[in-house]
Amino acid sequence: MILLSNILEEELIQLNVKADNWEDAIRKGTLPLVVKNKVTKEYVNKIIEIAKSIGPYIVITKHVALPHAPAEFGANETAIGITTLDRPVNFGNEANDPVKYLFCLSATDNNSHLEALAELVKLLENEDFFKLLDTSNSPKEILSYISTI
Amino acid sequence: MYKALVACRAGVGSSLMLKIKVNEVVRENKLPIQVEHSSLDGVPGFDGELLITLVDVAQELSNKGIKQHIIGIANIVDKKEIFEKLNKFLQGIEI
Repeated sequence: MILLSNILEEELIQLNVKADNWEDAIRKGTLPLVVKNKVTKEYVNKIIEIAKSIGPYIVITKHVALPHAPAEFGANETAIGITTLDRPVNFGNEANDPVKYLFCLSATDNNSHLEALAELVKLLENEDFFKLLDTSNSPKEILSYISTI
Repeated sequence: MYKALVACRAGVGSSLMLKIKVNEVVRENKLPIQVEHSSLDGVPGFDGELLITLVDVAQELSNKGIKQHIIGIANIVDKKEIFEKLNKFLQGIEI
């Protein structure tokens, strides 16, 4: 069973990143996944291409985006990154803009990471978690919080 | 019992999370809905009555002449929104 703490790494967490716009936010948010070879550059391009063609499908709740694309476009290994933005940016999603938190997902199939996503759903309902993201300067602290819940 | 398909663009992220929340709402309110999930590729072969997806994807699908009732969810962790939209579908069908 794959848990959130199995696919999240300290190097995939970035806090208070500066982004000019939604596209920049996705590129910066996914950068550690590219650097660690979890996804290809094409995968990132695909996320942006889909968002441009059908809209901000990745904005899933208030202030939260889950940038991801189908596995065949370059998801090498199942992983998730967390990026918080210094200043929130609009993604064009009326109900949930502006986006401050990006959970960039790479999934190599459509069910092995189900438990991890179930944990993520719970985190998205957890106010303490967002308070920690807002105040912490330490990816390690974020990771250890997630490991203990 | 109605069959619902939760679908998103990729089928690996938002649709799975949305399915988890929809299942919670269905269970807590004992709604007569059975939930599956897939990417949008699974939509043409789906033989149930209801499609559940995110708002922007719902808009895209509604332009394509899909035969199912389509529900678009704006906030995937908002159980109230999910319940109200599912309930509206159920009432519409039973009238």
